[in-house]
Formats: sequence, C-alpha cells, structure tokens
Amino acid sequence: MISKLNRMRLMAITANHIFLRSIFAASLFILIFISGITYRNTVSLTDSMEWVVQSYKFQTEVEQLFSLLKDAENSQRGFLIAGDSAFLEKYFESHKSVVKSFAKLDSLQTGNPQQQKNLKFLNQLIDLRLQQYDLSLKYGSDLFLNQEELTANMRKGSEITNLIDKQIDKIIDLESSNLKERQEKYEFKSFFVPWFTLFIMLFSLFVFVLAYVKINSDLEEQKRSNKKLLISTESMKHAEAIGEFFITQWDLKTNRYIFSDNLYRLLGCEPQSFKATAENFLKFVHPDDIHIVSNGTESTRQSSMVFPRTYRIIRKDGGVRYLKSMGKIITDSKGNLTHVSVAKDITQFQLSNMALEKRNQELLQSISELESFNHVASHDLQEPLRKIQTFISRISEKDQLIMDENSKEYFARIQASVSRMRTLIDDLLLYSRTTKTDKEFERTDLNLLLENTLQELSQQIEEKNAVIHTENLPALRVIPFQIQQLFYNLISNSLKYSKPGLAPIIKIECRKIETHENPELFSDSGKEYYKISVSDNGLGFEQEYANKVFELFNRLHIKGDYPGTGIGLSICKKIAENHSGVITAKSKPNEGAAFSVFLPD
Amino acid sequence: MKNGPIYVLLADDDEDDRLFFKDVFDELKINTVVNMVNDGEELMKYLSRNDHTLPHMLFLDLNMPFKTGLECLTEIKKMDHLKEMAIAIYSTSASEKEIEETFVNGANIYIKKPSDFGTLKKILADVITINWQYQTSGLNRDNFLLSI
Repeated sequence: MISKLNRMRLMAITANHIFLRSIFAASLFILIFISGITYRNTVSLTDSMEWVVQSYKFQTEVEQLFSLLKDAENSQRGFLIAGDSAFLEKYFESHKSVVKSFAKLDSLQTGNPQQQKNLKFLNQLIDLRLQQYDLSLKYGSDLFLNQEELTANMRKGSEITNLIDKQIDKIIDLESSNLKERQEKYEFKSFFVPWFTLFIMLFSLFVFVLAYVKINSDLEEQKRSNKKLLISTESMKHAEAIGEFFITQWDLKTNRYIFSDNLYRLLGCEPQSFKATAENFLKFVHPDDIHIVSNGTESTRQSSMVFPRTYRIIRKDGGVRYLKSMGKIITDSKGNLTHVSVAKDITQFQLSNMALEKRNQELLQSISELESFNHVASHDLQEPLRKIQTFISRISEKDQLIMDENSKEYFARIQASVSRMRTLIDDLLLYSRTTKTDKEFERTDLNLLLENTLQELSQQIEEKNAVIHTENLPALRVIPFQIQQLFYNLISNSLKYSKPGLAPIIKIECRKIETHENPELFSDSGKEYYKISVSDNGLGFEQEYANKVFELFNRLHIKGDYPGTGIGLSICKKIAENHSGVITAKSKPNEGAAFSVFLPD
Repeated sequence: MKNGPIYVLLADDDEDDRLFFKDVFDELKINTVVNMVNDGEELMKYLSRNDHTLPHMLFLDLNMPFKTGLECLTEIKKMDHLKEMAIAIYSTSASEKEIEETFVNGANIYIKKPSDFGTLKKILADVITINWQYQTSGLNRDNFLLSI
C-alpha cells in the first residue's frame, strides 16, 4: 500500500519535471522568436523610413534636375540673345550639373520597373535636349548665323522641353504614389510593430509568471516533503534506538553500503566511526556465524528471495548479541537495485527462549522421574505390602488355634494397616494417572458413563437401599474413563456418607447454563456450560469446608468411622480441571451435600 | 495329562513368591512336579535343555533381572517345541499396558499375585486344572485377566 503511494508520488514528481522542462523550452523558444521578430520589425521599420526619405530625395532631385535644365536653357537663351560668353560658361556649368543630377537621380531610383522605364526615357529626352542645346548653341554662336535653322532647332528644343516636363511630371507622379505607398507601409508598420511586440512581451510575461508560480509551488511541495522526510528520518532513528534495530542499504550496482547510526551503537561504537563496508561489518560477526552472513550476501545477489537470518555479533566491548535480519530488494525508478536489510537485536528474546527450552527440558526430566516414581510406587512399594499380607494370612490360617486373643487382635490390626496402605498407594496412583498429560478426548454420551458407574456400584446401592434419580445427560467431548471415575467417586461418596438408618436418595441433575450466571466461577463470559450436580440427603458438612474437601488427603471424618484416603474428591477436582471445568460443593450438616460439576459445551 | 504328574515351572526372581508358590503346591492334592528358575536367563537356558520333561505350564513373572518376562514370552513363542506349553503371567502389578502386551504376545492368562494365601491357593488350583489344550481355542481378551 505504502509502496504504491510512493510510486504514485514518484510519478507525480517525474511528471512535474517534464512539465517544468517543457515550460523552459517553450520560454526559450519564445524569447528567440521574439528577438528575431523584433529585430526584423525594427529593420523593416528603418527600411520603410529610409524608403520614404529616399522618395523625398528623389522627388527633390527630379525637381532640381528640371530646374537645372531650365537654368541651362536660360543660360543658352541668354547667350544667344546677349552673346555674352558669361552665359555660355553658365550654360556649360548647368549642362554638367544636369548630367550629375541625373546620375544622382539614377542612383536614388529604387528599382521600380515603371520608374526605371520612365527614367530611361527621361534620360533619352535629356540627352536629346542637351544635344538640341548644343546644336542651337552651335547654330547660334556661328558667325554665319543661320536664323532659320536656329529657330527650327529652338522650336524643336522647346518641344523636347515640353516632353521632358511631361516626363518629369509623370516621374514625380509615380514617385508621389510610391511615396504614398511607402508612407502607408511605414505608418502601418510603425503602428503594428509596437502592438505586436507588446503582445509578445505580455505573452512571455504570462509564461514566465506561470513558470514562476509552478516553480514556487514545487519548491513549497519540496519543502513539505523535505520536512516529512526529516520527520520520518528522525522518527526512524528514534524507532531504531528504542526498538534496538538498524538498517543497512546496499547498492547492488555500485556495491556501496549505508549503515544507520544504530548499527554502530549496537556494535558498541560511535555512529559512523568506521567506513560502511561489508568487510568492516563482518569483523564484528561471531566467527562461527560468518558463513550465515556472507552466504546470505552472496545469495542476495543471485535471487530476490531473502530469508530471515539469525546470527551473533561480538560488540566492541566483547559482549555477544543475537541479531535477526530480514532483507528486501528495492527497485528505484531508474531500475537500480538496492538491498535494504533490517536487523533486530533479539538477544533478550533468544536468551529467554533458551532458558525456556532448558526449563522445558528440566520439566520433561521431572515428568519422566515422576513416571518412574509411579512405577516404583505401583511395583516396588506394593510388593512388600503384598508379602506382609500373604505372610499374615499364612500365619493366621495355620496358627490361629494356638494364638491368644491379644495376638489375634494385633494381627488383625496389622492386616488393616497394611490394607489401608495399599488403598492409599492405589488411590495415589489413580490421582497421578489423572494428572497425566496425554488425554484423549472423544464425544461421549454421559448417560452411558453414568450407567456404567451405577452398574459398578450396584452392590453398594442394594446394600444401602439407595434410590437414584437420574436426568438425561448430554453428549460431550470428554475423556470417558475420567468422567466415569468422577461419577463413581461422587456417587460412592454419597453412599458412604449417608445418614445411618436412612435410605440414601441421590439425585443426578443436569442443566445448561451460561457463564455470566456464575461470574464468581468463570472469567470468560458468553460461553455455555453444562452443570451436572450430584446431591444427596446424607450427613453433609459445614459450608466452610466446601473448598477443603477437594484438597489432597483432606478428610472431614474420623478414620475409623468412614474408611477413605481423602483422595477421591481431589481426583474429581483434577478431572474437572482436565476438562476445563469447575467443581463446587454445597452443604449443611445433616442436610445432605450437593456437588456440581461444570463442563464446557 | 490323564496319566502322570503335571509339570509346572515358575520363573520368578522373588524368593518369597517362590516360597508361597511351593507351599501352595505342597498343600494341593494334585499330582504336580514343580520346578523353579530365578530369572529370565535361567528360564531360557532351562527350556533349551532336552534332558528333562518340558513343563506343561509356565508361570512367568514380568519384573525379572537380565531378561524380563515379556522378552522371555516373545522368545518362547518363536520356538516350535514350546508351542504346546501354556503360559500364565504371574505379576505383582496389572497395568493396562502390560496386560495388552502379554495378551498380544500369546500368553494364556494373566494372574495378579493376590495378597492372601488362601486366594493364591484357589487361583493356582483353578489354573492348573484347566484343560489348556481345549481352552486355547476360546481365548479372548475379556477373560484373559483372571479375576477371582
């Protein structure tokens, strides 16, 4: 679950990185784009302006040219009329200026084909006109003034001038329209470029703000995760110290280790006091356990299956500690494998476990001793008693006739003591047998067990004229012979302690109860029990002895009156406990006794 | 068994028990020859000799040194020439386990040593006069343990 969450977070961070990178790439692209556009716009704006200026210059130059032509004409006319050579000089100057001016004009023209054509034509006209001037001048300055030819020539020149005039008008018109066009272009550009630039600026500002916000939120997020990381690192350190464990990280690619501080502390060293390497760690591992650790290291490389390992280390101060470690391979987003292992100091656990095992062993030993004691009791203690009895029986048979009354009485007493001793041993054996651990539970009809018991006791029942009332009993998971023993002991007790001269009435009743009805007996509530009670109308006893009757060898009557060993009810208690049940007694002197056995359903 | 005495063998390490056993047969008016061995080893040696009449009936104590009664019983049951011999277990104790084991291993009857000489006399008289050849076919677990 946690690793899934981490993976999702990792993916989110990766997505974030991609987003930021694309924003920066876009910003860079936009910046270059803006620079290019702005440069081009500025250049084209300047160009447009230059074009406008050139158009103006062109127009001025055209007008200049025309006026120069006029000047030339005036000078020529002045010369022709006044014959003053000063005019002639002026004419030549104007002539030169016209040629210069045209050259300038030609250089100013912008490559408009129409205008080029126009200029070419103008050039021809000008050439023609200048030839005409020269010709007129020649005719005019000739000593043999040819008035007629001069006049014709002048007329022709005037026509050409008119043509030139028209042509210039045409050129100026065209240039004016050019100018107008350029001006419009310039105006458009000078209007459009700032807006475009502004728009681009605003857009890039937006992009930058977006990037800033994103980076800021990322930083915040990073701060938060840093804080979380710091807290979890600190809590991990704390947990390590309290939980007595440490963590090692092993980068399988670079073979580099990282040991947590607590590793050093558990080894009895200062944190990070030696370099984190496998060799340095192995120096602390118990020589007998090195194979466990280093084998584990090798197998880790080969498979991702990692088993828990238990090994010993020897601390710097020489103390031996038990460690249990468990590793796991973690794969990061780039596919690098890191083996993370957690090792816990289990010394306390291990030692108490070992102590427990030892105690268990001792217990088993004492149980087997007890069993051999039982064997000794059943064989070796019984044997001499049996022989005493047999010898007595021999003596009494053979020599009864010659024995005096005292001796007979003594032999009878010896006989009684020996038989009591044998009963005691038998009962004790029975008691120890009920304590035995191997119990076989099987679902048994208790009615059947009760029936068997009554069968066994039939002779005594008959002798005492006892009346037995029984109720239907359930079938339960019990140890059959023990429950039969329980019935036997309880009923024979009732028969034994009956009131002299009164026929015993013994009732065996059964009722289903829940634990909360008898909270003083049961600690667990909500379970169902069967309460089986055996009650009589016999001698009874003081209620204050109710618990004492279940104690071993405890008897409430004088030996001579009622023979018994004081083991019977102890056996009953043991049997009830073997069945996770309880036995209780309720009585009043001379009002009978009631024993209740609670057995779980 | 019609002619001649009944040969009886007792294997018991207890001197007193051997004494009681002998006294019983001395008092009984039955034609018997009683022999006794003191332990399991001696018993097996006695049974492997062929210079005397083999017993018709073996009384076998379980708790004996060197070789227990149960070990003797299993060995005897493997010997062909002893198959006809009736075996009565003759022990101080009678635990479920011992009764079960000896029955499974082919003993004919289980006698718990009584603590009264008169009772002992009666038991041994009864056991010795059972026609075992006839009785073995009706062997069952319920009357295996002799109760008097």
